[in-house]
Amino acid sequence: MRFLDWVVLVGTLATIVSYGLWKGRGSGTVASYLLANRTMPWWAMGLSIMATQASAITFIGTTGQSYADGMRFVQFYFGLPLAMVILSAIVVPAYRNARVYTAYEFLERRFDGKTRTLTSIVFLVQRGLGVGMTLYAPSVVLSILLGWPEHQTILVMGALVISYTVAGGIKAVTWTDVQQMSILFVGIIVSLTSAVVLLPHGVSVGDALYLAGTSGKLNAVDLSFDWQSRYNLWSGLIGGMFLALSYFGCDQSQVQRYLTGKSVRHSRISLIFNAVLKVPMQFFILLTGALVFVFFLFAQPPMLFHRAERERVERLPEYGEVGARYEQAFAARRAAAQALLEKRDPVSQERYLAAAQQLEAARADGKALAERTSGQQYNDTNYIFLTFVTRYLPAGLVGLILAAVFAAAMSASSGELNSLATATVIDLYRRHVRRDAADRHYVRVSRAATAFWGLYAMGFATFGHRLGSLIEAVNLVGSLFYGSMLGVFVLAFWVKRATGTSACLGLLTGLATVLWINFHSNISFLWYNVIGCVVAVTVGTLLGQRQEPSRA
Amino acid sequence: MPEPDDESAPVFSSWKRLYAAVVAYLFLLILLFYCFTVTFNHPR
Repeated sequence: MRFLDWVVLVGTLATIVSYGLWKGRGSGTVASYLLANRTMPWWAMGLSIMATQASAITFIGTTGQSYADGMRFVQFYFGLPLAMVILSAIVVPAYRNARVYTAYEFLERRFDGKTRTLTSIVFLVQRGLGVGMTLYAPSVVLSILLGWPEHQTILVMGALVISYTVAGGIKAVTWTDVQQMSILFVGIIVSLTSAVVLLPHGVSVGDALYLAGTSGKLNAVDLSFDWQSRYNLWSGLIGGMFLALSYFGCDQSQVQRYLTGKSVRHSRISLIFNAVLKVPMQFFILLTGALVFVFFLFAQPPMLFHRAERERVERLPEYGEVGARYEQAFAARRAAAQALLEKRDPVSQERYLAAAQQLEAARADGKALAERTSGQQYNDTNYIFLTFVTRYLPAGLVGLILAAVFAAAMSASSGELNSLATATVIDLYRRHVRRDAADRHYVRVSRAATAFWGLYAMGFATFGHRLGSLIEAVNLVGSLFYGSMLGVFVLAFWVKRATGTSACLGLLTGLATVLWINFHSNISFLWYNVIGCVVAVTVGTLLGQRQEPSRA
Repeated sequence: MPEPDDESAPVFSSWKRLYAAVVAYLFLLILLFYCFTVTFNHPR
């Protein structure tokens, strides 16, 4: 990090926070603090929805994933536009006309108080675990790159987010999301342009695509059907649609964004805006990762992208042989890539692929050495892109990309904190603890709840490294809960015979089924959303029928 | 009081047509990505 990078990074973050505090002033009522008095235009909500979904890991992890595994991850988003159409047509008018603050409040109108409370608690558990990860995951990466201790990075990000989210409520969150998403867009454009501009002399974009394709990195669409394959067209369209329906239709962190709209029309357009932009945006992020892969065909990448681990491994006596083999393998692959570009024949292609395999084997030896000597699993996918940025981008742009990563982390966590506070206050405190207090009291409690969840997230993130493999379990939590939650909303919207009790039992049965499948099968997680929803709807319908046969 | 639900779509004159256009757009994107994959991705 050079001086100019620090100027750009600090200046960007200061601007975001100041703007958020300024835009959030005057949020003195519950309707203003939690729903911005329903005054938001579609484009601000649209960008806020996108920003809340795009965490820092979405940006740096997706490019790394494309580098390692190709572009097939884009299929994960294919179901999103379909979900947006359904939500825009059916769910948005229903929520808006019910004048609710939370999605779970809508369930009380349709069913009863216990369904609202149960779904709200499920949301709090699931999103409460997630918000810690939203801060923890990027803090690990940024700490290593900036040379800061993890707790300092968490403190900086957490304090900035808490300050404007507590002070300005959803208005501050939405307007800062607009800025943060704009910075993220600029970051994506700068990254993609840099990956093209930094290609070696004589290597055109066409050459880069040829090399990336030969390496299997441009696998954007896979038509084959396989339950165990994480990303193919079918899991993306069907599983992805169920996941997006659950996330954007039942998760308060997203529902609250479009409840703030000026009108049903504005809320609908904000979702359609996402339906149109999200898939191409992810395509270009993944393409950036594939081009970074091509860049590293000619510039030697570190054997291990995790700097601290690399420095530790390089001090080991066993490193000498492994490191020398890696350097030889890289030189051979670079020569083979150059020869492939010149000849473009099957023989050169075979030679290139063999050389690439040799390099992968050498890198695998390095990873194995790191794992053997540390006793921990080694995965450096999230460090690949930022290694490229910090080593090769000019001064100023590094600061801009890091600002985009900070912005992504802050926008995702501010939306989560705001929605956690809303569900806590509206669904639990105002519903079960104190029903008739003054409006000002609920604003104070909302601010306190936001601060509580912010401090909780910082605490979770600070001690995250001690949780070990639990972190992976936390990452999975969303997929375990979402389908069954969606099932309850499907019952509410479409199954007249369903009752509160049958919906709750459907939810619990769906959760138990998905948990069982998670531990006893290899089915890809995207299908969990379909299975959880189908089980919850089936159980909710059957039991509802049994309890109230006269309504059938 | 229910909010007015009959406000016009921003383009394509009705919401149904707009939704149909979004779905068509999605399948066009998938087709383009598929062509991209077939054209450029050839690991062996």
